[in-house]
Amino acid sequence: MRIRANTAIGGALMALLLGAALTGAFWTPFDPLRINLRARLQAPSPVHWLGTDEFGRDVLSRIMVGAGASVVIALVTVLLAIGAGMVIGCAAGYIRGWADRVIMAVNDALLAFPGILLALAVMIVVGANKLGLILALGLAYIPSVVRVVRATVLSIREKEYVEASRVIGNSEVYSMIRHVMPNAIAPVAVLATSMFGWVLLAESALSFLGLGVPPPAPTWGNMLAASRPFMETAAWLSIAPGLCIALTLLGINLLGDSLRDRLDPRMAHG
Amino acid sequence: MRRRRPSPTWALGLAALALLAMLGKAGAETLLRTRLNADIRSTDPGTNRDANTDGVIAHVVEGLVAFRDDTSVGPMLAESWAVSNEGKTYTFRLRQDVKFHNGATMTADDVVWSLKRWLDPATQWRCLSEFGATGIARIEKVEAPDPQTVTITLDQPTALFLSTLARPDCGQTAVIHRDSVGVDGKWIAPIGTGPFKLAEWKRGQYVDIVRFDGYVSRSEPRTGYTGAKDVKVDRVRFNVIPDSSAAKAGLLSGSLDVIMSLSIPDLEELKSRPEVQLSITPALGLTGILFQTKDPLLKDVRIRRAIALSIDTVQIVDAVMMGTARPNNSALPLGSPFYSEAQSHGYVQNIAEAKKLLLEAGYRGQPIKMITNKRYSFVFDSSVLVQAMAQTVGINIELEVMDWAAQLDRYNRGDYQSMAFVYSARLDPSLSFEMLTGPKAAQPRKIWDNPEAQEMLRQSMMIDDTAKRQALFDEMHKRFIADVPMIVLFNGAELTALRKGIKGYAGWLYPQPRFWGVTVQ
Amino acid sequence: MLGYLARRLAMTIPTLLLVAIAVFALVRLIPGDPVQVMLGDAADPAQAAQLRAQLGLDQPIPVQFMHWIAKLAAGDFGHSITNNLAVLPLILDRFQVSAVIVLVAVAAAACIAVPAGLVAAWKQNSLLDLSVVGGATLLLSIPSFWLGLLLLLLFGLKLKWLPVIGYVPFAEDFWQASSFIVLPIATLTMVEIGVLTRMARAASIEVLRLEYVTHARAKGVPEWRVLARHVLPNAFAPTWTLIGLVLGHLLGGIAVIETVFTLPGLGRLLVDSIFARDYPVVQGCLLFTAVIYVVVNLIVDLCYPLFDPRVTVA
Repeated sequence: MRIRANTAIGGALMALLLGAALTGAFWTPFDPLRINLRARLQAPSPVHWLGTDEFGRDVLSRIMVGAGASVVIALVTVLLAIGAGMVIGCAAGYIRGWADRVIMAVNDALLAFPGILLALAVMIVVGANKLGLILALGLAYIPSVVRVVRATVLSIREKEYVEASRVIGNSEVYSMIRHVMPNAIAPVAVLATSMFGWVLLAESALSFLGLGVPPPAPTWGNMLAASRPFMETAAWLSIAPGLCIALTLLGINLLGDSLRDRLDPRMAHG
Repeated sequence: MRRRRPSPTWALGLAALALLAMLGKAGAETLLRTRLNADIRSTDPGTNRDANTDGVIAHVVEGLVAFRDDTSVGPMLAESWAVSNEGKTYTFRLRQDVKFHNGATMTADDVVWSLKRWLDPATQWRCLSEFGATGIARIEKVEAPDPQTVTITLDQPTALFLSTLARPDCGQTAVIHRDSVGVDGKWIAPIGTGPFKLAEWKRGQYVDIVRFDGYVSRSEPRTGYTGAKDVKVDRVRFNVIPDSSAAKAGLLSGSLDVIMSLSIPDLEELKSRPEVQLSITPALGLTGILFQTKDPLLKDVRIRRAIALSIDTVQIVDAVMMGTARPNNSALPLGSPFYSEAQSHGYVQNIAEAKKLLLEAGYRGQPIKMITNKRYSFVFDSSVLVQAMAQTVGINIELEVMDWAAQLDRYNRGDYQSMAFVYSARLDPSLSFEMLTGPKAAQPRKIWDNPEAQEMLRQSMMIDDTAKRQALFDEMHKRFIADVPMIVLFNGAELTALRKGIKGYAGWLYPQPRFWGVTVQ
Repeated sequence: MLGYLARRLAMTIPTLLLVAIAVFALVRLIPGDPVQVMLGDAADPAQAAQLRAQLGLDQPIPVQFMHWIAKLAAGDFGHSITNNLAVLPLILDRFQVSAVIVLVAVAAAACIAVPAGLVAAWKQNSLLDLSVVGGATLLLSIPSFWLGLLLLLLFGLKLKWLPVIGYVPFAEDFWQASSFIVLPIATLTMVEIGVLTRMARAASIEVLRLEYVTHARAKGVPEWRVLARHVLPNAFAPTWTLIGLVLGHLLGGIAVIETVFTLPGLGRLLVDSIFARDYPVVQGCLLFTAVIYVVVNLIVDLCYPLFDPRVTVA
């Protein structure tokens, strides 16, 4: 069997991320919250590997602590959205009829709001904190999952082997779990990995629009947003979190692809 | 809701454009391009307005009096004035041959008409309440005994009459021509006496003002919103650009000439640019930390005082404002004529004393929520630093970021433990204290509920004697420091960047631009 | 077909009604009100109360809602609280800007992403595939405002090829207008290429494994023909659904890009209005984007059978 490049690279990147997050939970080179006004905006050096920010805080330490915060937020949000979305989407796609219409009407109503702006409004209502962020973004992303899952279910349930399953007398629910769900996993895996990225990005976009995880706790998103005024004078401030987000997404997406390859029932014959 | 058809303004704009096209000199006109961070709200002075609106409109209209550079009040459309009847009657002598933008000559009749329009509740003038039952004084009579004289009679003497008339947020109580409104009484466009005329308002994009060739300038040098107003450009365009990075980029690429209200990081970056010059002016705003003195925890003055003693104001101001502002613990802004030696005594960092006070108060690390916002970077940065410094004496502050409107709502309801806040400029020391002190039961937004201070404030508004007012303000300052309803940190600075070719620009205590006397090379 | 269309249109009515209720409820749940924003730190309670009464904000929420709905039914979206403009013309004006950017960017992204995804799927696990996926992943992982600012700094400030700020409607000056929206379109295209390429690739892989592709190949049909005739149309179907989603979201959601490039678009109008608590504009914008979204998705759904003959509209 060939070694899959996506599994290897993706795995390595995610291992790096988890390593950084776990280490950051117990140890960082400096206190990520300690302000040192005499060491503001220092370029990367042997002491501060990634430099210091506008309050003289060590960027590397903040990246390490921020890794944990960002991962937890993204993971919980994605799980929330996928979990709720799968259930609703499968139900709508399989049951059809009036239930489907009602579900899709509500879904379309939610989907019809621009996600990031819905999240912005929800955050103003529930407050700018981690829970608010997760709720806001989760709510914003559930409808997309529902729609993609439903579309997949609709197209799969027409396929011969599902028809066959039904014809030989298997129950609807059994057919759905046995044949439809596994097929829905591939597009949902792709969507979930992309969504993990969207959440990381949305978190920075919300910080950019003025709301996000409250300071001084670092997340990559609020670090990136805070670095914006210093893009020209202190580029390291935006490069570090920006790169971390990019690499994490690369990792999770590659892993998602390899996961999908494994889950695909017909992959084994390929 | 009132409806207003925008077409007359557009028609005006089109007419101006057509005129320009006819002259065939559109390419030769000198244009000054500046930036607004948000669109203006209307062209109707002192009604539907905000700071941006005031800033643009101040180029187009003028009032009887106006603020000078040092926030004292000087004559503008008035030549002079006299006070009689125990401080209750003001007689204004008007300047001769002042022209409106439509060519008409201003007379006392126009002044009376304008004032009566402001005082009509239907106009929705922002400052109407100042001249009502709860305000500084009621206006009983406005008369024009002859074409060059206007008398205004009040029901009681007040130290604040002229400065209220001059307030930019009151539209400087502008004198406008009656054709500014339609026959139905609805606003059309300002026909004022200012050195610029409103040319075109392209909503969400830009506002253009053009030179008024019939302008008759005062003779004394430019000062504040009065003095000589010699316009040296043909057109000023206020571009609506919400994003500050984009505005900065616009300045550097040459598509903007002037940008105001720079953030500190922007300033640091622009310092090194050869094509840019900077104008740094002290401002009158007030940034600080408010405490809710009714809060179960913070009602203990010892805890409030401990927070004040835990922080190093000098260090905060240096870090946040990068040397563009000086620390100030007083409610009066630096630069105010009433800022005396007494006002300079504030808080000095004292960790041991702070810890002792906390011990006495029985504070054991209970979290104190502090609301802050990202709309103003200096407010946000200040709150982060205060939190870190308070931490060193064991005070546990938790920051809560809100959008500005949500924070304002909490502020107005008094619903907070503490918040980092910024007050806008007040142009009179009585008003500086008035924004802080008052009975919380009736006015929840007031932060300093001290009956003695309120009495002193009331006196300061009535008395016109400078020395007596000074004594009152000094005493109020002492009590303000002792009560710690708020820690004032600093008055901001207005940071403006201009391209090198712009000459003659000067900032002043009020953070608004003046584009008369400015040349483009 | 017509019956289906009529049914679909009828179905949008409850959706839009739900949207209207949700919009109204959400907007009124947000703390703070437009009067406070207008009056700032110097809000005199009497003055504030007077303004609220003028704006009708002192009435009970259900009354305000019915009032709004009644006016909506007559086609009146109300007037902005901040500048008193009629909301619908304001929205249409701003929408033009957003629509041009989004439509061009998504079309450009689809033109690049679908072939790229197809080729990557065809050469699955090759170096080419890995670089396409890697490139796409990198693109979709860069925060759009960051990318936008980098482009602005590079092309606007360093190279001075393009203007940094401003906007001119296409009707006024086509070339100048183009120069202002090249960068926002480029930014958006790059981000969307990332999303669409991955979807196109995933869908193509699915199709490439189907029997009829193997069958076609076994029959000796040339490989390019297999891809063009059999794989592309079928792989396009799920991507098409995603394009619908993307379009719907972007039409209201490019606030960040519009802010960076200072374009007077719909997204920025909405964000500004949320922060200013300009209720009529927020409500109008959200409802408008909802209508656009519903219409776009209706079109997508109607077109779906064209790409996937297995699904019929019934």
